[in-house]
Amino acid sequence: MERDNYSKFEMDFISTSGVYKTPFSLIIIVQLFVGGIVLFLVNLWFINGLYYLLTGSDFYSFGLKAEWYYWLLLPLNIYGNILLFTFTIILFSAGIFKLLNKLSPPREGIFERGSKDWKYMHRRFWVAYFPIWLARALPLPWIDIVVYRFFGTRVGKSVVLYEGYVDPLFIEIGDFTMTSLNICIFSHLIYQDKILIKKVKIGKACVVGPHTIVSPGTIMQDFAVLGVNSYTSIEQELEGNLIHIGTPVSLTLPIQSVEESKNKAEKVKLEPSNAEANQNEIDLNLKEE
Amino acid sequence: MFQPVSLKGDSPSPIDERIRGKYLILYIGIIILSLVPLSIFEYSYVIYFWSKTDYWLFFILLPLNVLAAIYIVQFSATLISVLILKIVNLLHVPKEGNFKRSLEDRDYLFWNIRNIVKKCPLYVTASNPFPWFKNRFTLWFFGVKIGKKTICDNSWISSEFVSIGANVIIGMNSTILSFGIEQDNFILRKIRVGNGALIGAKCFLLPGTVMEQNSKLSAHSYTSYDQVLRENSIYLGHPAKLKNT
Repeated sequence: MERDNYSKFEMDFISTSGVYKTPFSLIIIVQLFVGGIVLFLVNLWFINGLYYLLTGSDFYSFGLKAEWYYWLLLPLNIYGNILLFTFTIILFSAGIFKLLNKLSPPREGIFERGSKDWKYMHRRFWVAYFPIWLARALPLPWIDIVVYRFFGTRVGKSVVLYEGYVDPLFIEIGDFTMTSLNICIFSHLIYQDKILIKKVKIGKACVVGPHTIVSPGTIMQDFAVLGVNSYTSIEQELEGNLIHIGTPVSLTLPIQSVEESKNKAEKVKLEPSNAEANQNEIDLNLKEE
Repeated sequence: MFQPVSLKGDSPSPIDERIRGKYLILYIGIIILSLVPLSIFEYSYVIYFWSKTDYWLFFILLPLNVLAAIYIVQFSATLISVLILKIVNLLHVPKEGNFKRSLEDRDYLFWNIRNIVKKCPLYVTASNPFPWFKNRFTLWFFGVKIGKKTICDNSWISSEFVSIGANVIIGMNSTILSFGIEQDNFILRKIRVGNGALIGAKCFLLPGTVMEQNSKLSAHSYTSYDQVLRENSIYLGHPAKLKNT
Protein backbone atom coordinates (compact mmCIF):
# COMPACT_ATOMS: atom_id res chain seq x y z
CA MET A 1 0.00 0.00 0.00
CA GLU A 2 2.27 2.76 -1.25
CA ARG A 3 1.36 5.80 -3.22
CA ASP A 4 3.11 8.44 -5.26
CA ASN A 5 3.57 11.76 -3.55
CA TYR A 6 3.18 13.78 -6.72
CA SER A 7 -0.37 12.50 -7.30
CA LYS A 8 -1.83 14.51 -4.40
CA PHE A 9 -5.15 16.11 -5.24
CA GLU A 10 -6.05 19.40 -3.68
CA MET A 11 -9.79 19.94 -3.65
CA ASP A 12 -11.48 22.37 -1.31
CA PHE A 13 -14.33 20.21 -0.10
CA ILE A 14 -16.08 16.88 -0.52
CA SER A 15 -19.20 16.87 -2.69
CA THR A 16 -21.06 13.76 -3.78
CA SER A 17 -21.10 10.99 -6.33
CA GLY A 18 -23.69 11.18 -9.06
CA VAL A 19 -24.22 11.53 -12.79
CA TYR A 20 -26.09 13.92 -15.05
CA LYS A 21 -28.84 12.59 -17.27
CA THR A 22 -27.51 11.94 -20.78
CA PRO A 23 -29.18 10.47 -23.92
CA PHE A 24 -27.09 7.35 -23.29
CA SER A 25 -29.36 6.54 -20.33
CA LEU A 26 -31.89 5.22 -22.87
CA ILE A 27 -29.74 2.05 -22.86
CA ILE A 28 -31.98 0.94 -19.99
CA ILE A 29 -34.80 0.33 -22.50
CA VAL A 30 -32.43 -1.79 -24.64
CA GLN A 31 -31.45 -3.81 -21.55
CA LEU A 32 -35.12 -4.31 -20.71
CA PHE A 33 -35.82 -5.56 -24.25
CA VAL A 34 -32.90 -8.00 -24.27
CA GLY A 35 -33.94 -9.43 -20.91
CA GLY A 36 -37.56 -9.75 -21.98
CA ILE A 37 -36.84 -11.46 -25.30
CA VAL A 38 -34.47 -14.04 -23.77
CA LEU A 39 -37.08 -14.71 -21.09
CA PHE A 40 -39.77 -15.23 -23.71
CA LEU A 41 -37.69 -17.57 -25.91
CA VAL A 42 -36.47 -19.73 -23.01
CA ASN A 43 -39.98 -20.00 -21.61
CA LEU A 44 -41.40 -21.04 -24.95
CA TRP A 45 -38.73 -23.70 -25.37
CA PHE A 46 -38.98 -24.89 -21.75
CA ILE A 47 -42.75 -25.18 -21.60
CA ASN A 48 -42.99 -26.98 -24.92
CA GLY A 49 -40.02 -29.21 -24.12
CA LEU A 50 -41.36 -30.24 -20.70
CA TYR A 51 -44.79 -30.86 -22.08
CA TYR A 52 -43.32 -32.99 -24.90
CA LEU A 53 -41.21 -34.92 -22.41
CA LEU A 54 -44.16 -35.78 -20.21
CA THR A 55 -46.95 -36.34 -22.76
CA GLY A 56 -45.31 -36.84 -26.13
CA SER A 57 -47.33 -34.15 -27.90
CA ASP A 58 -46.70 -30.46 -28.60
CA PHE A 59 -47.98 -27.76 -26.30
CA TYR A 60 -49.66 -25.15 -28.42
CA SER A 61 -51.36 -22.61 -26.20
CA PHE A 62 -50.88 -20.82 -22.89
CA GLY A 63 -54.50 -21.23 -21.86
CA LEU A 64 -55.99 -23.24 -19.01
CA LYS A 65 -55.59 -26.52 -20.92
CA ALA A 66 -52.35 -27.51 -19.16
CA GLU A 67 -52.09 -30.61 -16.96
CA TRP A 68 -51.98 -30.49 -13.13
CA TYR A 69 -48.17 -30.88 -12.85
CA TYR A 70 -47.75 -27.68 -14.83
CA TRP A 71 -49.58 -25.75 -12.13
CA LEU A 72 -47.58 -27.60 -9.46
CA LEU A 73 -44.29 -26.42 -10.99
CA LEU A 74 -45.54 -22.87 -11.64
CA PRO A 75 -44.02 -21.23 -8.49
CA LEU A 76 -40.58 -22.60 -9.36
CA ASN A 77 -41.09 -21.41 -12.92
CA ILE A 78 -41.93 -17.85 -11.81
CA TYR A 79 -38.93 -17.58 -9.51
CA GLY A 80 -36.64 -19.06 -12.13
CA ASN A 81 -37.96 -16.54 -14.64
CA ILE A 82 -37.10 -13.63 -12.36
CA LEU A 83 -33.54 -14.94 -11.91
CA LEU A 84 -33.20 -15.58 -15.64
CA PHE A 85 -34.37 -12.05 -16.45
CA THR A 86 -31.91 -10.41 -14.07
CA PHE A 87 -28.94 -12.57 -15.05
CA THR A 88 -29.40 -11.98 -18.78
CA ILE A 89 -29.53 -8.24 -18.14
CA ILE A 90 -26.47 -8.44 -15.87
CA LEU A 91 -24.45 -10.41 -18.45
CA PHE A 92 -25.53 -8.18 -21.32
CA SER A 93 -24.68 -4.95 -19.50
CA ALA A 94 -21.38 -6.36 -18.21
CA GLY A 95 -20.48 -6.97 -21.84
CA ILE A 96 -21.31 -3.38 -22.78
CA PHE A 97 -19.35 -2.19 -19.73
CA LYS A 98 -16.24 -4.07 -20.88
CA LEU A 99 -16.66 -2.70 -24.41
CA LEU A 100 -16.78 0.86 -23.03
CA ASN A 101 -13.68 0.13 -20.95
CA LYS A 102 -11.84 -0.96 -24.10
CA LEU A 103 -12.96 2.12 -26.04
CA SER A 104 -11.66 4.43 -23.35
CA PRO A 105 -9.74 2.80 -20.46
CA PRO A 106 -10.81 4.28 -17.11
CA ARG A 107 -8.24 6.65 -15.62
CA GLU A 108 -7.80 8.38 -12.28
CA GLY A 109 -7.55 12.16 -12.07
CA ILE A 110 -9.55 15.37 -12.43
CA PHE A 111 -11.42 15.81 -15.70
CA GLU A 112 -13.18 18.84 -17.19
CA ARG A 113 -16.82 18.78 -18.21
CA GLY A 114 -17.25 17.65 -21.82
CA SER A 115 -13.96 15.75 -22.03
CA LYS A 116 -13.78 12.15 -23.20
CA ASP A 117 -13.35 10.73 -19.70
CA TRP A 118 -16.36 12.68 -18.43
CA LYS A 119 -18.54 11.24 -21.22
CA TYR A 120 -17.38 7.65 -20.76
CA MET A 121 -17.74 7.91 -16.98
CA HIS A 122 -21.41 8.83 -17.45
CA ARG A 123 -21.92 6.05 -19.99
CA ARG A 124 -20.42 3.45 -17.65
CA PHE A 125 -22.66 4.53 -14.81
CA TRP A 126 -25.83 4.45 -16.89
CA VAL A 127 -24.96 0.93 -18.05
CA ALA A 128 -24.51 -0.23 -14.44
CA TYR A 129 -27.61 1.58 -13.13
CA PHE A 130 -30.41 -0.84 -14.03
CA PRO A 131 -28.73 -4.22 -13.27
CA ILE A 132 -27.73 -3.03 -9.80
CA TRP A 133 -31.26 -1.74 -9.19
CA LEU A 134 -32.63 -5.14 -10.18
CA ALA A 135 -30.11 -7.00 -8.01
CA ARG A 136 -31.03 -4.86 -5.01
CA ALA A 137 -34.74 -5.47 -5.66
CA LEU A 138 -34.28 -9.25 -5.48
CA PRO A 139 -34.66 -10.98 -2.09
CA LEU A 140 -31.19 -12.59 -2.30
CA PRO A 141 -28.64 -10.54 -0.35
CA TRP A 142 -25.51 -11.87 -2.07
CA ILE A 143 -26.60 -11.04 -5.58
CA ASP A 144 -25.42 -7.44 -5.72
CA ILE A 145 -21.89 -8.51 -4.78
CA VAL A 146 -22.01 -10.80 -7.83
CA VAL A 147 -23.10 -7.82 -9.94
CA TYR A 148 -20.31 -5.61 -8.60
CA ARG A 149 -17.83 -8.36 -9.49
CA PHE A 150 -19.18 -8.43 -13.04
CA PHE A 151 -18.48 -4.71 -13.36
CA GLY A 152 -14.83 -5.03 -12.41
CA THR A 153 -15.00 -4.18 -8.70
CA ARG A 154 -12.77 -6.46 -6.66
CA VAL A 155 -14.88 -7.76 -3.79
CA GLY A 156 -13.45 -10.49 -1.56
CA LYS A 157 -15.31 -13.41 -0.05
CA SER A 158 -17.99 -13.10 2.65
CA VAL A 159 -18.31 -9.32 2.39
CA VAL A 160 -21.39 -7.46 3.64
CA LEU A 161 -22.24 -4.79 1.06
CA TYR A 162 -25.96 -4.45 0.54
CA GLU A 163 -27.02 -1.41 2.51
CA GLY A 164 -25.10 1.48 1.02
CA TYR A 165 -24.41 3.74 -1.91
CA VAL A 166 -21.44 2.07 -3.60
CA ASP A 167 -19.89 3.09 -6.92
CA PRO A 168 -19.19 0.26 -9.39
CA LEU A 169 -15.71 1.23 -10.56
CA PHE A 170 -12.29 1.69 -8.91
CA ILE A 171 -13.14 -0.02 -5.65
CA GLU A 172 -11.24 -2.86 -3.97
CA ILE A 173 -12.67 -4.59 -0.92
CA GLY A 174 -10.80 -7.37 0.91
CA ASP A 175 -12.10 -10.58 2.45
CA PHE A 176 -14.36 -10.59 5.53
CA THR A 177 -14.94 -6.82 5.46
CA MET A 178 -18.21 -5.59 6.91
CA THR A 179 -19.96 -2.40 5.80
CA SER A 180 -22.87 -1.12 7.84
CA LEU A 181 -26.19 0.53 7.17
CA ASN A 182 -26.46 3.65 5.08
CA ILE A 183 -22.82 4.10 4.09
CA CYS A 184 -21.38 5.85 1.05
CA ILE A 185 -18.29 4.46 -0.70
CA PHE A 186 -17.42 6.94 -3.45
CA SER A 187 -14.75 6.42 -6.06
CA HIS A 188 -15.67 9.64 -7.83
CA LEU A 189 -16.89 13.08 -6.80
CA ILE A 190 -18.86 15.33 -9.12
CA TYR A 191 -18.63 19.13 -9.19
CA GLN A 192 -20.50 21.37 -11.62
CA ASP A 193 -17.54 21.79 -13.99
CA LYS A 194 -15.24 18.87 -13.20
CA ILE A 195 -15.13 15.31 -11.97
CA LEU A 196 -12.61 13.64 -9.64
CA ILE A 197 -11.86 9.94 -9.92
CA LYS A 198 -9.58 8.09 -7.51
CA LYS A 199 -9.29 4.51 -6.39
CA VAL A 200 -10.58 3.32 -3.01
CA LYS A 201 -8.86 0.40 -1.28
CA ILE A 202 -10.41 -1.31 1.71
CA GLY A 203 -8.29 -4.05 3.25
CA LYS A 204 -9.10 -7.38 4.90
CA ALA A 205 -11.52 -7.64 7.84
CA CYS A 206 -12.22 -3.90 8.05
CA VAL A 207 -15.38 -2.46 9.58
CA VAL A 208 -17.03 0.58 8.00
CA GLY A 209 -19.44 1.96 10.58
CA PRO A 210 -22.96 3.21 9.92
CA HIS A 211 -23.63 6.64 8.33
CA THR A 212 -20.06 7.11 7.12
CA ILE A 213 -18.62 8.44 3.89
CA VAL A 214 -15.51 6.88 2.36
CA SER A 215 -14.24 9.48 -0.11
CA PRO A 216 -12.13 8.71 -3.20
CA GLY A 217 -8.48 7.90 -2.65
CA THR A 218 -8.99 6.49 0.84
CA ILE A 219 -6.82 3.53 1.80
CA MET A 220 -8.02 1.43 4.73
CA GLN A 221 -5.36 -1.00 5.85
CA ASP A 222 -6.19 -4.46 7.21
CA PHE A 223 -8.27 -4.63 10.40
CA ALA A 224 -8.98 -0.85 10.43
CA VAL A 225 -12.29 0.38 11.85
CA LEU A 226 -14.06 3.55 10.68
CA GLY A 227 -16.29 4.84 13.48
CA VAL A 228 -19.93 5.87 13.38
CA ASN A 229 -20.94 9.10 11.65
CA SER A 230 -17.47 10.06 10.44
CA TYR A 231 -16.02 10.66 7.01
CA THR A 232 -12.58 10.49 5.45
CA SER A 233 -11.05 13.32 3.45
CA ILE A 234 -9.70 12.77 -0.05
CA GLU A 235 -6.61 10.55 -0.19
CA GLN A 236 -6.55 9.81 3.53
CA GLU A 237 -4.79 6.71 4.80
CA LEU A 238 -6.27 4.83 7.75
CA GLU A 239 -3.83 2.71 9.71
CA GLY A 240 -4.65 -0.88 10.54
CA ASN A 241 -5.69 -2.29 13.95
CA LEU A 242 -7.11 1.08 15.09
CA ILE A 243 -10.48 2.81 15.37
CA HIS A 244 -10.76 6.07 13.39
CA ILE A 245 -13.28 8.78 14.32
CA GLY A 246 -13.94 12.36 13.24
CA THR A 247 -15.40 14.64 10.60
CA PRO A 248 -13.02 14.36 8.77
CA VAL A 249 -11.12 11.55 10.52
CA SER A 250 -8.66 13.02 13.03
CA LEU A 251 -8.82 10.87 16.19
CA THR A 252 -7.51 7.32 16.53
CA LEU A 253 -8.29 4.92 19.35
CA PRO A 254 -6.89 1.45 20.09
CA ILE A 255 -9.10 -1.61 19.67
CA GLN A 256 -9.56 -3.18 23.13
CA SER A 257 -11.03 -6.38 24.42
CA VAL A 258 -13.81 -6.18 27.02
CA GLU A 259 -11.47 -7.16 29.88
CA GLU A 260 -8.94 -4.47 28.99
CA SER A 261 -11.57 -1.75 28.89
CA LYS A 262 -12.98 -2.95 32.24
CA ASN A 263 -9.55 -2.76 33.82
CA LYS A 264 -9.08 0.75 32.47
CA ALA A 265 -12.46 1.84 33.82
CA GLU A 266 -11.48 0.56 37.28
CA LYS A 267 -8.25 2.52 37.12
CA VAL A 268 -10.25 5.68 36.35
CA LYS A 269 -12.44 4.99 39.38
CA LEU A 270 -9.38 4.91 41.63
CA GLU A 271 -8.41 8.50 40.82
CA PRO A 272 -7.80 10.80 43.87
CA SER A 273 -11.30 12.35 43.87
CA ASN A 274 -12.91 8.96 44.43
CA ALA A 275 -10.03 7.39 46.31
CA GLU A 276 -11.60 7.70 49.78
CA ALA A 277 -14.90 6.13 48.79
CA ASN A 278 -13.11 3.26 47.11
CA GLN A 279 -10.85 2.75 50.12
CA ASN A 280 -13.93 2.49 52.35
CA GLU A 281 -15.45 -0.12 50.07
CA ILE A 282 -12.25 -2.15 50.05
CA ASP A 283 -12.12 -2.00 53.85
CA LEU A 284 -15.72 -3.21 54.11
CA ASN A 285 -14.97 -6.09 51.75
CA LEU A 286 -11.95 -7.09 53.84
CA LYS A 287 -14.01 -7.11 57.04
CA GLU A 288 -16.65 -9.36 55.45
CA GLU A 289 -13.98 -11.82 54.40
CA MET B 1 -24.89 6.24 -6.71
CA PHE B 2 -27.05 3.17 -6.23
CA GLN B 3 -29.82 3.42 -3.70
CA PRO B 4 -29.89 0.69 -1.03
CA VAL B 5 -33.00 -1.35 -0.34
CA SER B 6 -33.95 0.19 2.97
CA LEU B 7 -34.11 3.75 1.62
CA LYS B 8 -36.47 3.22 -1.31
CA GLY B 9 -39.36 4.68 0.66
CA ASP B 10 -41.32 7.90 0.52
CA SER B 11 -40.04 11.23 1.77
CA PRO B 12 -39.63 11.72 5.53
CA SER B 13 -42.83 13.61 6.31
CA PRO B 14 -44.15 12.01 9.49
CA ILE B 15 -47.93 11.87 9.79
CA ASP B 16 -49.35 12.39 13.27
CA GLU B 17 -50.53 9.08 14.74
CA ARG B 18 -53.58 10.73 16.28
CA ILE B 19 -55.14 11.34 12.87
CA ARG B 20 -53.49 8.64 10.78
CA GLY B 21 -56.37 6.24 11.26
CA LYS B 22 -59.02 8.87 10.60
CA TYR B 23 -57.88 9.63 7.07
CA LEU B 24 -56.94 6.05 6.09
CA ILE B 25 -59.95 5.92 3.75
CA LEU B 26 -58.59 8.92 1.84
CA TYR B 27 -55.20 7.23 1.44
CA ILE B 28 -56.64 3.90 0.28
CA GLY B 29 -59.03 5.75 -2.04
CA ILE B 30 -56.11 7.48 -3.78
CA ILE B 31 -54.33 4.13 -4.25
CA ILE B 32 -57.42 2.49 -5.76
CA LEU B 33 -58.24 5.46 -8.02
CA SER B 34 -54.65 5.58 -9.28
CA LEU B 35 -54.78 1.89 -10.22
CA VAL B 36 -57.98 2.27 -12.32
CA PRO B 37 -56.19 3.64 -15.45
CA LEU B 38 -53.65 0.80 -15.16
CA SER B 39 -56.38 -1.85 -15.20
CA ILE B 40 -58.04 -0.20 -18.24
CA PHE B 41 -54.65 -0.14 -20.01
CA GLU B 42 -53.87 -3.78 -19.24
CA TYR B 43 -57.33 -4.92 -20.31
CA SER B 44 -57.03 -3.15 -23.68
CA TYR B 45 -53.48 -4.52 -24.14
CA VAL B 46 -54.60 -8.09 -23.61
CA ILE B 47 -57.69 -7.69 -25.85
CA TYR B 48 -55.63 -6.12 -28.64
CA PHE B 49 -52.55 -8.37 -28.67
CA TRP B 50 -53.79 -11.75 -27.46
CA SER B 51 -54.86 -14.13 -30.19
CA LYS B 52 -54.04 -17.78 -30.64
CA THR B 53 -51.99 -17.33 -33.79
CA ASP B 54 -50.01 -14.22 -32.87
CA TYR B 55 -49.32 -14.54 -29.14
CA TRP B 56 -45.57 -13.87 -29.67
CA LEU B 57 -46.29 -10.16 -30.21
CA PHE B 58 -47.92 -10.07 -26.79
CA PHE B 59 -44.75 -11.40 -25.15
CA ILE B 60 -42.23 -9.39 -27.17
CA LEU B 61 -43.95 -6.11 -26.27
CA LEU B 62 -44.20 -7.12 -22.59
CA PRO B 63 -41.12 -5.09 -21.47
CA LEU B 64 -42.63 -1.95 -23.00
CA ASN B 65 -45.87 -2.82 -21.25
CA VAL B 66 -44.08 -2.90 -17.88
CA LEU B 67 -42.44 0.47 -18.63
CA ALA B 68 -45.80 1.98 -19.57
CA ALA B 69 -47.54 0.47 -16.54
CA ILE B 70 -45.09 2.06 -14.07
CA TYR B 71 -45.50 5.50 -15.62
CA ILE B 72 -49.29 5.21 -15.92
CA VAL B 73 -49.52 4.48 -12.19
CA GLN B 74 -47.17 7.36 -11.38
CA PHE B 75 -48.98 9.92 -13.58
CA SER B 76 -52.47 8.94 -12.45
CA ALA B 77 -51.45 8.93 -8.77
CA THR B 78 -49.93 12.43 -9.07
CA LEU B 79 -52.89 13.83 -11.00
CA ILE B 80 -55.47 12.46 -8.55
CA SER B 81 -53.55 13.66 -5.51
CA VAL B 82 -53.08 17.12 -7.08
CA LEU B 83 -56.85 17.35 -7.64
CA ILE B 84 -57.57 16.39 -4.02
CA LEU B 85 -54.81 18.73 -2.85
CA LYS B 86 -56.53 21.66 -4.60
CA ILE B 87 -59.77 20.93 -2.70
CA VAL B 88 -57.82 20.68 0.58
CA ASN B 89 -56.05 23.97 -0.15
CA LEU B 90 -59.41 25.67 -0.76
CA LEU B 91 -60.44 24.72 2.79
CA HIS B 92 -57.20 26.06 4.25
CA VAL B 93 -54.44 27.99 2.49
CA PRO B 94 -50.93 26.70 3.41
CA LYS B 95 -48.72 29.38 4.95
CA GLU B 96 -45.31 29.64 6.64
CA GLY B 97 -44.81 30.41 10.31
CA ASN B 98 -44.51 29.00 13.82
CA PHE B 99 -47.42 26.85 15.01
CA LYS B 100 -48.36 24.60 17.90
CA ARG B 101 -48.10 20.85 17.44
CA SER B 102 -51.66 20.10 18.49
CA LEU B 103 -54.63 19.01 16.41
CA GLU B 104 -56.56 22.14 17.39
CA ASP B 105 -54.07 24.16 15.36
CA ARG B 106 -55.56 24.17 11.86
CA ASP B 107 -52.20 24.73 10.14
CA TYR B 108 -50.68 21.61 11.72
CA LEU B 109 -53.81 19.55 11.02
CA PHE B 110 -53.92 20.53 7.36
CA TRP B 111 -50.17 19.96 6.96
CA ASN B 112 -50.78 16.36 8.06
CA ILE B 113 -53.71 15.97 5.67
CA ARG B 114 -51.61 17.29 2.80
CA ASN B 115 -48.92 14.71 3.64
CA ILE B 116 -51.47 11.89 3.60
CA VAL B 117 -52.66 13.04 0.16
CA LYS B 118 -49.10 13.26 -1.23
CA LYS B 119 -47.84 9.99 0.25
CA CYS B 120 -48.86 7.57 -2.53
CA PRO B 121 -47.40 9.46 -5.55
CA LEU B 122 -44.16 10.22 -3.69
CA TYR B 123 -43.76 6.54 -2.77
CA VAL B 124 -44.37 5.46 -6.36
CA THR B 125 -41.82 7.97 -7.72
CA ALA B 126 -39.21 6.97 -5.14
CA SER B 127 -39.48 3.29 -6.09
CA ASN B 128 -39.47 3.90 -9.85
CA PRO B 129 -36.53 1.95 -11.38
CA PHE B 130 -36.04 4.27 -14.35
CA PRO B 131 -34.20 7.61 -14.18
CA TRP B 132 -36.75 9.66 -16.14
CA PHE B 133 -39.66 11.69 -14.72
CA LYS B 134 -38.66 11.21 -11.11
CA ASN B 135 -38.52 13.74 -8.24
CA ARG B 136 -38.39 16.79 -10.51
CA PHE B 137 -41.57 15.81 -12.35
CA THR B 138 -43.69 14.85 -9.34
CA LEU B 139 -42.64 17.78 -7.18
CA TRP B 140 -43.43 20.21 -10.03
CA PHE B 141 -47.09 19.21 -9.67
CA PHE B 142 -46.98 19.96 -5.94
CA GLY B 143 -45.57 23.45 -6.56
CA VAL B 144 -41.86 22.80 -5.96
CA LYS B 145 -39.95 24.23 -8.89
CA ILE B 146 -36.65 22.54 -9.68
CA GLY B 147 -34.52 24.02 -12.46
CA LYS B 148 -32.93 22.27 -15.41
CA LYS B 149 -29.82 20.06 -15.23
CA THR B 150 -30.12 19.36 -11.51
CA ILE B 151 -29.16 16.08 -9.88
CA CYS B 152 -31.88 15.41 -7.30
CA ASP B 153 -33.01 11.80 -7.65
CA ASN B 154 -31.22 10.14 -4.74
CA SER B 155 -32.26 12.67 -2.10
CA TRP B 156 -35.30 13.50 -0.02
CA ILE B 157 -36.93 16.83 -0.80
CA SER B 158 -39.95 18.22 1.04
CA SER B 159 -42.92 18.67 -1.25
CA GLU B 160 -43.82 22.24 -0.34
CA PHE B 161 -42.12 25.58 0.42
CA VAL B 162 -38.99 24.62 -1.51
CA SER B 163 -37.53 26.24 -4.62
CA ILE B 164 -34.39 24.93 -6.30
CA GLY B 165 -32.54 26.66 -9.13
CA ALA B 166 -30.88 25.31 -12.25
CA ASN B 167 -27.60 23.36 -12.45
CA VAL B 168 -27.71 22.36 -8.78
CA ILE B 169 -26.17 19.15 -7.42
CA ILE B 170 -27.94 17.56 -4.46
CA GLY B 171 -25.96 14.72 -2.93
CA MET B 172 -26.74 11.11 -2.15
CA ASN B 173 -28.97 10.62 0.86
CA SER B 174 -29.17 14.34 1.69
CA THR B 175 -32.40 15.78 3.00
CA ILE B 176 -34.14 19.11 2.41
CA LEU B 177 -36.69 19.75 5.16
CA SER B 178 -39.07 22.71 5.01
CA PHE B 179 -40.63 21.69 8.34
CA GLY B 180 -39.24 21.28 11.82
CA ILE B 181 -40.70 19.74 14.97
CA GLU B 182 -39.26 21.12 18.22
CA GLN B 183 -41.12 19.53 21.14
CA ASP B 184 -44.55 21.28 21.10
CA ASN B 185 -43.72 23.72 18.33
CA PHE B 186 -44.13 23.17 14.63
CA ILE B 187 -42.17 25.33 12.20
CA LEU B 188 -42.76 25.81 8.46
CA ARG B 189 -40.31 27.99 6.51
CA LYS B 190 -39.40 28.32 2.88
CA ILE B 191 -36.06 26.98 1.60
CA ARG B 192 -34.41 28.63 -1.39
CA VAL B 193 -31.49 27.10 -3.27
CA GLY B 194 -29.94 29.35 -5.92
CA ASN B 195 -28.54 28.48 -9.32
CA GLY B 196 -25.29 26.53 -9.41
CA ALA B 197 -25.35 25.61 -5.72
CA LEU B 198 -23.87 22.34 -4.50
CA ILE B 199 -25.09 20.22 -1.58
CA GLY B 200 -22.84 17.30 -0.63
CA ALA B 201 -23.72 13.79 0.43
CA LYS B 202 -25.62 13.22 3.71
CA CYS B 203 -26.41 16.93 4.24
CA PHE B 204 -29.46 18.35 6.02
CA LEU B 205 -31.03 21.70 5.14
CA LEU B 206 -33.23 22.89 7.99
CA PRO B 207 -36.27 25.19 7.41
CA GLY B 208 -35.53 28.76 6.36
CA THR B 209 -32.13 28.06 4.85
CA VAL B 210 -31.21 30.27 1.90
CA MET B 211 -28.41 29.11 -0.38
CA GLU B 212 -27.34 31.90 -2.70
CA GLN B 213 -25.80 31.43 -6.16
CA ASN B 214 -22.78 29.11 -6.42
CA SER B 215 -22.63 28.51 -2.67
CA LYS B 216 -21.24 25.10 -1.66
CA LEU B 217 -22.10 22.95 1.33
CA SER B 218 -19.54 20.21 2.02
CA ALA B 219 -20.58 16.62 2.66
CA HIS B 220 -21.88 15.39 6.04
CA SER B 221 -22.96 18.79 7.43
CA TYR B 222 -26.19 20.52 8.34
CA THR B 223 -27.42 24.11 8.43
CA SER B 224 -29.23 25.82 11.29
CA TYR B 225 -32.66 27.49 11.11
CA ASP B 226 -32.85 30.56 8.82
CA GLN B 227 -29.17 30.36 7.93
CA VAL B 228 -27.98 32.23 4.84
CA LEU B 229 -25.11 30.73 2.84
CA ARG B 230 -23.37 33.54 0.92
CA GLU B 231 -22.43 33.57 -2.75
CA ASN B 232 -19.32 31.78 -4.04
CA SER B 233 -18.28 30.46 -0.63
CA ILE B 234 -17.78 27.06 0.97
CA TYR B 235 -19.51 26.01 4.19
CA LEU B 236 -19.00 22.93 6.35
CA GLY B 237 -19.57 21.64 9.88
CA HIS B 238 -22.29 20.98 12.44
CA PRO B 239 -23.95 23.49 12.05
CA ALA B 240 -22.36 24.84 8.87
CA LYS B 241 -19.75 27.59 9.19
CA LEU B 242 -17.75 29.52 6.61
CA LYS B 243 -14.58 27.67 5.68
CA ASN B 244 -11.35 29.51 6.38
CA THR B 245 -9.18 29.74 3.30
